[in-house]
Amino acid sequence: MKISDLATLDTFDGLQPEYTDAEILAGYTSDLLSDVMANAAEGAALITIQAHKNTVAVASLVGIRAIIVCNNRPVTDDVIEAAKNEGIAVFRTTGNQFQTSVLISQHLNP
Amino acid sequence: MQFKADFHIHSCLSPCASLEMSPASIARRAREVGLNAIALSDHNCTFNLPAFDRVCRDGGMACLYGMEVSTQEEVHVLCLFDRLEPAMELGALVYDSLPDIPNQPERFGDQPIVNEHDEILGFAEKFLISASGYNIGALVEEVHTLKGLVIPAHIDRSVYGMISTLGFLPDEEFDAVELTPAGDPQLAGRYPIIRNSDSHRLDQIGTSCSTFDMNRLSVDHIRHFLRSNR
Repeated sequence: MKISDLATLDTFDGLQPEYTDAEILAGYTSDLLSDVMANAAEGAALITIQAHKNTVAVASLVGIRAIIVCNNRPVTDDVIEAAKNEGIAVFRTTGNQFQTSVLISQHLNP
Repeated sequence: MQFKADFHIHSCLSPCASLEMSPASIARRAREVGLNAIALSDHNCTFNLPAFDRVCRDGGMACLYGMEVSTQEEVHVLCLFDRLEPAMELGALVYDSLPDIPNQPERFGDQPIVNEHDEILGFAEKFLISASGYNIGALVEEVHTLKGLVIPAHIDRSVYGMISTLGFLPDEEFDAVELTPAGDPQLAGRYPIIRNSDSHRLDQIGTSCSTFDMNRLSVDHIRHFLRSNR
């Protein structure tokens, strides 16, 4: 699936649309950013409830293409601004991390 | 004047701290171990600062008014003030931002609010170990607006330390970073270092401390001292 396909998923809101569309190569689910930094794969979508500027910083370092914020947690303007600068897509969903992981896994190309 | 200071001490209000940690006992113990400046810094709550203020004034102990805030990122950050009022103001904002999850004393420990005579006045209702609604950037801004010091706590610890949680020290206007006694100074990067005990029991008070040469104990004096002695 491509980054833009995330916007079509049920309960997904696209919050930061300024990115270069590309294939999502993997998913990574974690709320501990040091773990994301150490273990997430380049080209992945990050499934998390951590929605702050440092999430964007870590995502950019790892090469994460999309941040999916679960449980409809608030995402402030400074986060959107930082993601825009890095060209990282941001989505928000009402689903929790488990439900969202299952959903993304079903859509990833085998 | 030389201040031998321990600015990270929990009172009985913190559910993880020993019930012997009343403000009066803390000040007494600090004096016994040769400290002449201390701060009370409970988790996400300042309800015991008024009693702490009274015992320090009565006992002639120089003090700062603090709190250890858990940010949204689940990083612990020490916030220190040289006046009670702004500390109480931040305390109210942070406590309000905690989720409405009540403490379960049998599981986590009691959260008693006490006076200067060690009498229990009540209990903090919300579970104080929860993450507050403040992210790191917002907390730095709020504390600096209130004229306090912002110091990420025990950055070298594997739990609730900034480096283990985020993976790095973000570029923020931190006044210093706190290291545990064994913490490697290299971890502090460009920030000044302070060391405190993070006491949860009386016998831990002063086991790690910092020395400041200043005319008097104030936020401005500490900031100046830290910058010029980096």
